[in-house]
Amino acid sequence: SGELYCSLPNPRNVRFESINMKNVLHWSAPEGTGDGVLYKVKYAIYGVGKWIRKPECRNINRTWCDLSSETSDYEEQYYASVKAFLNRTCSDWVETPRFNPLTDTKIDPPMVSVSSTDRSISIILTAPEKWKRSPEEESLSLLQVYPGLQYNVSVLNKKTKKRWFFSISNNTLVVPWLEPGTAYCVSAQIHVSTPLLDSGFSKEYCITTLKDK
Amino acid sequence: DALLPAPQSISILSTNMKHFLTWSPVIIQGATVRYSVEFQGEYEREYANGSWIPISECSLTTATVCNITEDISATVAYKLRVRAELGATRSQWSTTKGFFNRAMTSLTPPLLRAVADGHHLLVELADMGPSFQFRVLYWKKGQESRVQQKVLKEVSSVVHLDTMEAGAEYCVKAQTHVEAINRSSSFSPTQCVRAQGDTSVWLV
Amino acid sequence: KIFHLGACRVSMSMTEIRAGFTAIKAKIQSRDPVRTLSILSHPHSLHKVKSSDRCCMAHQLFTFYVDKVFKHCRTEDSFVNRKISSIANSFLSARRKLRQCHEQNNCVCGEESTEKFKQILANYEGLNVTSAAMKSLGELDILLDWMEKSR
Repeated sequence: SGELYCSLPNPRNVRFESINMKNVLHWSAPEGTGDGVLYKVKYAIYGVGKWIRKPECRNINRTWCDLSSETSDYEEQYYASVKAFLNRTCSDWVETPRFNPLTDTKIDPPMVSVSSTDRSISIILTAPEKWKRSPEEESLSLLQVYPGLQYNVSVLNKKTKKRWFFSISNNTLVVPWLEPGTAYCVSAQIHVSTPLLDSGFSKEYCITTLKDK
Repeated sequence: DALLPAPQSISILSTNMKHFLTWSPVIIQGATVRYSVEFQGEYEREYANGSWIPISECSLTTATVCNITEDISATVAYKLRVRAELGATRSQWSTTKGFFNRAMTSLTPPLLRAVADGHHLLVELADMGPSFQFRVLYWKKGQESRVQQKVLKEVSSVVHLDTMEAGAEYCVKAQTHVEAINRSSSFSPTQCVRAQGDTSVWLV
Repeated sequence: KIFHLGACRVSMSMTEIRAGFTAIKAKIQSRDPVRTLSILSHPHSLHKVKSSDRCCMAHQLFTFYVDKVFKHCRTEDSFVNRKISSIANSFLSARRKLRQCHEQNNCVCGEESTEKFKQILANYEGLNVTSAAMKSLGELDILLDWMEKSR
């Protein structure tokens, strides 16, 4: 098929972007190349002697490739690599830094559900699940992946504008003795101390306590 | 090199896990003397041929103090040394006498503000850095035997302790705890606040 | 934090070691060009070491890093050298804690950990000393991830 001459500039900024261990390889197109560039991707388990091609990311023109399935064992670490092709020329293979799903993923905020009585609010928090191949696959909560996982909860009294913080390990919190007929806004964050991983705060969920009976 | 006197009175000031090396200035009329600092941990002494490691922030500095907190980051015995430099001339090293272990740091009680917000007892604590936890004790006044405790790590803002009985007075005090050296400060002065509401109403 | 390593219960903190490693991880791992070899995780994974052997495995690994690895990791980068010193000195105090279990006879070395550790040494001696030391240092998170599963 004739020798390919690899003088094409390399893909740039090749890296994993990972959220809840959904691990997607991203890169930027080689400098100065317009449309028509195609790519192929391979990956390797660190310490294992072979690179493995990703068929679904062969001759693609997009600049990302989902490798979640291939990198789902978070007790392993990985490399991935990308090569660009254009008009019978190609680039070098360009690798990611070593990727450790356990420490290099980002964690979404917890899901927050709030209910109220006249004088209290009840908050139930749910940690996100680890990415899974299909809905049928058994779910694994990030709580099981990070045993030291805790929740920081913020409760804002909309009338007084005062904000309180709670730090809890279990996923439920009841705040009694509140003012009736008052709006309270709740948001929560996940905190893992080691490895150090903090989610952002969730959006605020507001609820009004019932009027006094 | 011996013409340039070595820095004297070197000592380590360590409070709340912040460690500083200080020394007396070397005075040479009409000249600006600079200093360089190096440290040596137990590992360097026992396993790396007694090697010394320079602290770049305190290399060729004109200051007579060096923040060594980042480098004294293990609970082992360290040695520190400093020398004076003037152009190409260098003094002898002055080395700390004995060893410094961060477990010797002095721990001060935390700055605490107790807050009553309706029926809720809250506390505001000044952040002291990632090494610190706060052990907060609180009790209803008059029930000193039923003290409750909360250990707080993240104290970025007003932290909720508990709910209070209407009209009752509650007292709070706290101490810091540093897990890395397994030591605690003394307690802060006790502060008492009163919950909203009238006790008589509560009794009806 | 309490680590449960088989019969050994020891209070230690990996936070500062983890922070020190995270600060230099990219620089250290980029100096290790060999993707196809691992010191700690292949062919046998640390995660497969059974509970009763964990203390011995941990003690052997901490000793391995103190005796063999750190001294061969000196670089021309002052920041990296200072972080390596911080990690190495933290390893000393962590190992001192593990030794308590040794002395209380809660740190028995079974056949599995002995075999596994032999494999690690063979992996290490299969490379020249500087490459082996830098690769081992770059795999510190493998050791820390494994240790923290024992909390």
